[in-house]
Amino acid sequence: MTGDSGRVGKEQSFSDLTPVLLTNLDKVMYPAFSVTKQEVITYYIRMAPRILPFLFNRPLTLHRFPDGVGGEAFYEKDAPKKTPDYVDIFTIPGKSVDRQLHFVLCNNLDTLIWLANLASLELHTTLSTTGSYDSPDILLFDIDPEPPLTFDDVIDTALIIREHLENAGIRLFVKTSGKKGLHLVVPLSGGHRFEEVRAFAHQVGKTIARDSPLVVSEFARSRDPGTVFIDYLQNARGKTMAAPYSLRATAGATVSAPLNWDSLRHGIHPEDFNIRTILSENEDPWRDIFDTRQTIGR
Amino acid sequence: MTQGRQSGDKTARRSPQGKAGKKNAGSPGPEPVLTTGAGGEKAGKKDQPVTLVIPEPPQDDPAQKSTPGRPFWSGTITIGLVNVPVRLHTMVRDQSISFRLLHREDGQPLRYDRVCTKDGRVIPWAETVKGYEVQKGKYVVFEPGELKAVMPESDRKIRIEKFVYYLSLDPTYFETPYILVPDRSEEAYSLLVTALQELGRAAVGTITLRTKEYPVVVHVYQGGLVLTTLRHADEVASLRSFEQLTGLPAPKDTELALAKRIINELSGDFSLADYPDRYQDAVMKLVKMKMAGEKIVTVEPPHPEQAKELMQALQETIATLARK
Repeated sequence: MTGDSGRVGKEQSFSDLTPVLLTNLDKVMYPAFSVTKQEVITYYIRMAPRILPFLFNRPLTLHRFPDGVGGEAFYEKDAPKKTPDYVDIFTIPGKSVDRQLHFVLCNNLDTLIWLANLASLELHTTLSTTGSYDSPDILLFDIDPEPPLTFDDVIDTALIIREHLENAGIRLFVKTSGKKGLHLVVPLSGGHRFEEVRAFAHQVGKTIARDSPLVVSEFARSRDPGTVFIDYLQNARGKTMAAPYSLRATAGATVSAPLNWDSLRHGIHPEDFNIRTILSENEDPWRDIFDTRQTIGR
Repeated sequence: MTQGRQSGDKTARRSPQGKAGKKNAGSPGPEPVLTTGAGGEKAGKKDQPVTLVIPEPPQDDPAQKSTPGRPFWSGTITIGLVNVPVRLHTMVRDQSISFRLLHREDGQPLRYDRVCTKDGRVIPWAETVKGYEVQKGKYVVFEPGELKAVMPESDRKIRIEKFVYYLSLDPTYFETPYILVPDRSEEAYSLLVTALQELGRAAVGTITLRTKEYPVVVHVYQGGLVLTTLRHADEVASLRSFEQLTGLPAPKDTELALAKRIINELSGDFSLADYPDRYQDAVMKLVKMKMAGEKIVTVEPPHPEQAKELMQALQETIATLARK
């Protein structure tokens, strides 16, 4: 007797709608809410119309949780072995490794389903696209509180940044990070360099920190208790942020949720925006984000 | 090496007595702690027969159908100067399914070897000694004769020391039951059964099985005698060592009344037949299918409700994306 019958995978095919083979659908990904992989995949399918435009040609870093939140997890920059044909790949020479890196591009629904099936709960994207990888098309302020400051203080800081930039005629978009803070994003026109974008973001942080006792603009002070740090350092080649509508690996199955500025009021919490609540949001606050590409620092 | 070495090694494997304890085989077992407050109340009425409320196993229970195998021990129950010759049969059969590990390529069974952790060589039995780890990586070494000298001698006796009310025994300490059958001693055996039955009592004492001495209880069950080995007192954790259990709040009267009502409503007869081993049944079914040459499909459909949701999401999203 041979043992070849012993390893039949539990693959579930929906071949007429998608070529993706789904596995272990009953596996619990978020134990606290009993959210299964099936629900995670369903979530990403439902959010695909909002997620896919943003992810198009944007190199991904996968954050995979094969045993769900609380189990072992790993980041994956290089496309996994056996990456199917429908997944687009972006190849560039690695910076620290002496070989080519193959980034996954989530350019179609099948890839998004495939990623969800890999238990890549979190999708992290670069701030540039493959067309001009060395030139950012997004500026990111990553704002996080240090206790005892709270999400309310993050909101206050975000509103100050918004006021500063709108005075300079710059429109910016806001989303929860899905963890403790907020991400503020400025869509950029072509031709920016990472250094100048980083310097601009740093300057905004320094200006606000000068006037506010709670805000810090320097990494060295970022963990000081009772502060809010405006992190400008992610504005660099190859660095990433959680994609809008990406799930986060938190107990509460939170989502990095795009918000309208009107809804950014004291009393809301990152946990309010999770896999079960976000689906009922009818409108996508980031719908027209790339219709308003702006030039900064010039 | 000597014969004694061989038999000593066998005890390290799974013996019919269940897992062998780590304690020194020669140490006398502490007096078993058996009396509980609750049981003691019933035991208080002297010489009153106590009815055992143990449900008879269902007749179609497969474990009951199987006929007893050969006895694995014979000896005597010794009460003072009275001897009752008996044989011991196993009563509990581990029904869990066991698999052999095979080499995938050629389907041949694999065996375990004693491999030296230092140089990876396979070591023959004759070159082995036993070591007791006294601190990490440090062992006290025993030659076979040294352990044999302190092993309790199996004198083929079940030594009865006392009689107690069976219901006063704490089942927490019960380990493995064995069936005692008369060995050309039907009259003496029957006398013991009847006397114990009418007094509602059980005999407690000791037995030495292979190389370990156990406290035991002998009681009447289904018209015969059953010997149950008991755990040593220090093998069982005490609930008193749990901080969470000290100072539990007294429940409110109303809540208690409600809880009691629920319990009363859910009260009923308990039948183990209601709790089959589903995994084992499923595996045995698969074994039979494989033997019959049937192909086994292990694709598990997701829950239909959830799958419907996923399918619906997929259809709707594909439609939305097509519109764009």
